[in-house]
Amino acid sequence: MKSAVTTVITAADAAGRFPDISDLKAVKASFDRAAARMEAAEKLASGIDNVTADALKAVYSDGKYDIATRDKCARDINHYLRLINYCLIAGSTGPLDEWGIAGVREVFRTLGIPTSAYIEAFSYIRERVCVPRDMDEQAANEFKDLLNYLINALS
Amino acid sequence: MLDAFSRAVVGADAKGACLGSADLASLRQHVADANIRIDATNAIAQHISCIAADAVSGMVCENTGMTQPGGNCYPTRRMAACLRDGEIILRYVSYALLAGDASVLDDRCLNGLKETYDALGVPIKNAVRAVEIMKAATVAIITDTNSGPSAFQGISGNGSDCQGIAAEAASYFDRVISSLS
Repeated sequence: MKSAVTTVITAADAAGRFPDISDLKAVKASFDRAAARMEAAEKLASGIDNVTADALKAVYSDGKYDIATRDKCARDINHYLRLINYCLIAGSTGPLDEWGIAGVREVFRTLGIPTSAYIEAFSYIRERVCVPRDMDEQAANEFKDLLNYLINALS
Repeated sequence: MLDAFSRAVVGADAKGACLGSADLASLRQHVADANIRIDATNAIAQHISCIAADAVSGMVCENTGMTQPGGNCYPTRRMAACLRDGEIILRYVSYALLAGDASVLDDRCLNGLKETYDALGVPIKNAVRAVEIMKAATVAIITDTNSGPSAFQGISGNGSDCQGIAAEAASYFDRVISSLS
């Protein structure tokens, strides 16, 4: 699993060297950001059901999508938010890449699922994050970065 | 390969649950101790030959026949391989210490190591002895990072007291020893 620390170790191992000062500085930098990331992860974990419900309401409000798909859409939004929670902990996009993005285009295309619905949902969540009501500014930035990353990957 | 963070993520994914406040307590402690971990890893990286080469030399000194004709460290080609292996094992221990998880050591170093040594005729007893000396030297160096002649300024600027993490470093060497034995 790719994370901030394992990425550094993988590179050092590929070069066959001990962790040098620049490796250790990279690890330290990720630890320095960890507090904000963990706050975002914690707030997301406690509010994931509300966030999912809100985004779902927004996506289905204008009747563009078949209401019969609602439950499955809720499940998928929840799934992606959970992966974002993991990414916030790991300090890397590894969990999203490995469990949520690899193969997703093929799946959506084969099953005829409109990706625009997900993009609308995650954009809505991104716009709705409120500082400081929901979380600190730095935590919100970490969260929004990952939402943007996911939106770009689905686009 | 996993670290303390991705280990928590993989565990949560198996349950299909988010990582919430309850799971984050131990990770927060891990973050709070980050400087200690980084300085301890740095202490190993700055004493590579002091730990690895001295351990192999020490093991040979205890078994002088090894460098004589017929010994396992004769000729120098085999002694060089032995020195190199000591350094490789130490390198993976340093990765494990930095990651806070033994998986990198298990997956990339220990998996198949005993079988390889058996096939090459490396005496396991002596290999284990060299690892034991590396363990003792590493624990001494990590314990001593903030005092005595080897005091040095860690990455945190004022030198962390790394004593608390020496036991964790020792546990990775124990892992090497038990997988070889």
